[in-house]
Amino acid sequence: MIEVANLTKRYGAKTAVDGLTFTVRPGTVTGFLGPNGAGKSTTMRMLVGLDTPTSGTAKVNGKRYAEHSAPLQEIGVLLEARAVHPGRSARDHLLAIGATHGITAKRVDDVLELVGLTDVARRRVGNFSLGMGQRLGIAVALLGDPHTVMLDEPVNGLDPDGIKWIRQLLKGLAAEGRTVFISSHLMSEMALTAEHLIVVGRGKLIADVSVAALIESATRGVHVRTPRASDLVRLLNGDGVKITSLGGGVLDVIGRTTEDIADRALAAGIPLYELTPQRASLEEAYMELTEESVEYHGGTTATLREAA
Amino acid sequence: MSTLTLDAPVVVPPPAKPALRLSFGGVLRSEWIKLRSVRSSALTLLGAAFAMLAAGLVFASTISDNGVGNGPGPRGGMTDPTAISLSGVTFAQLIIGVLGVLVVSNEYSTGMIRSTLTGVPTRFPVLAAKVAVVIGSVFPTMLAVSLGAFFGGQAIMSGGTLPTAAIGDPGVLAAVVGSAAALTGVAVMGVALGSILRSTAGAISTLFALVFLAPGLGQLLLPTSWRDDVLKYLPSNASGSFTSVTPAADALGTTAGALVFAAWVVVPLVVAAVLLRRRDA
Repeated sequence: MIEVANLTKRYGAKTAVDGLTFTVRPGTVTGFLGPNGAGKSTTMRMLVGLDTPTSGTAKVNGKRYAEHSAPLQEIGVLLEARAVHPGRSARDHLLAIGATHGITAKRVDDVLELVGLTDVARRRVGNFSLGMGQRLGIAVALLGDPHTVMLDEPVNGLDPDGIKWIRQLLKGLAAEGRTVFISSHLMSEMALTAEHLIVVGRGKLIADVSVAALIESATRGVHVRTPRASDLVRLLNGDGVKITSLGGGVLDVIGRTTEDIADRALAAGIPLYELTPQRASLEEAYMELTEESVEYHGGTTATLREAA
Repeated sequence: MSTLTLDAPVVVPPPAKPALRLSFGGVLRSEWIKLRSVRSSALTLLGAAFAMLAAGLVFASTISDNGVGNGPGPRGGMTDPTAISLSGVTFAQLIIGVLGVLVVSNEYSTGMIRSTLTGVPTRFPVLAAKVAVVIGSVFPTMLAVSLGAFFGGQAIMSGGTLPTAAIGDPGVLAAVVGSAAALTGVAVMGVALGSILRSTAGAISTLFALVFLAPGLGQLLLPTSWRDDVLKYLPSNASGSFTSVTPAADALGTTAGALVFAAWVVVPLVVAAVLLRRRDA
């Protein structure tokens, strides 16, 4: 469980996180989504006490991170930036971090096995590929067998096999009842892994929705194919209804449900050859969300790009 | 979605739930693992040990060949046999200081500090444990090489015309132990400077300037009227009061010197501790 309330972080004149409030619940994978520079990493750093909030609170399992008697057992984290000494072996890296909490060498070896680094456990980390480094970071996150797992851009640098592996790992962790919180700037990645989304832009909360609800909200119109298009247009027209002809007898109808269209067409004896609700991709829904937030806050795309 | 829901989730080993607990003993063990698992620690420790032994033995043999008053090097003309054999302190302190600096600055340059402070969010135990493992590894090693340099140096000089010292002579053992303590103190200063400056180059330069350059530069640049009153408070001059049997005439007394030197170690350490708590990692 992660609880963030009115969380704000300013670096000089720049506000990285601006009054953020959200809760991440156990048992599901929650995605933390936003463009680069939206404040995701800063929020995660504040959750584990690396950065001190300017104001507001960031709690993990009911307490501030530093107040736990075994912090690594509460939350395991992978932060975006590399955090290992290149001259140390993967095993020594894990042993050193684990030693603070009395984590045994056996657990270290188990975790190395879990992330698939057993064969290179005694090699210097400096020689690791990006993907191996990422796996080591995930090993660190899992070391304390934590209730909550928080990973910043976990698929970075992983090959397709690695990406598939981590999706399954995260779903498995959530299925065990753990809280899983992962950030990404890619909606496509989140669509495959997360069930719930916290969307941020320029430090502010844009949306706190389930993936299903987000797709629902982004439903466009209904595509109708009929040989009597002009008759159907006349039949369906009304307040709040927008009909566009796409050519070839296909109409895009916004403002009427598929049921409504079908019933009216049947009553008027107009044959329908096709009746398809159009769903925006999650990616489109996300773009729409972030665009709106930019307009709403009176910014320009230039400032968004600058923040990224 | 459909292909994914068909895949069986990766099975994570069932939580065995050992009662984990963050403890200072654990942090100490962690810092010890870190110290011994990178090459730079052993290299700097060996380098300092070599400098201490080699300088003492070489100086003892050249001075013994050339006779009193003609010896080369920074302490030419020196007659105290204990000081001759321990003259390596001047060089060894620079190398051992680098060890202290690297213990912290390495973590900042590599990003390891984020892993470290995530594991120990209270932070202060990390600095305390780093100081402890540096003292624990540097002091015994430097005591052994100080003794080695002393006995080796006296053995070399006993073949010549110079007087030699015995470990039981007044002040000799204190000077030998004091040399090891001074070297350890400089290493701890390195830890503090590394933690304050968070940069290897910055911390090493500062340490080098303070310990090595300042006495000589002060000698050259400060007005004679008050220069000696100031210079005796510099770390290397303050430690001179307890690393030699016959300190320079204008040096601080042994106790005063030890206290001044201790302040050079403790004050930066306190600053480092406060900053470590306060700053974002």
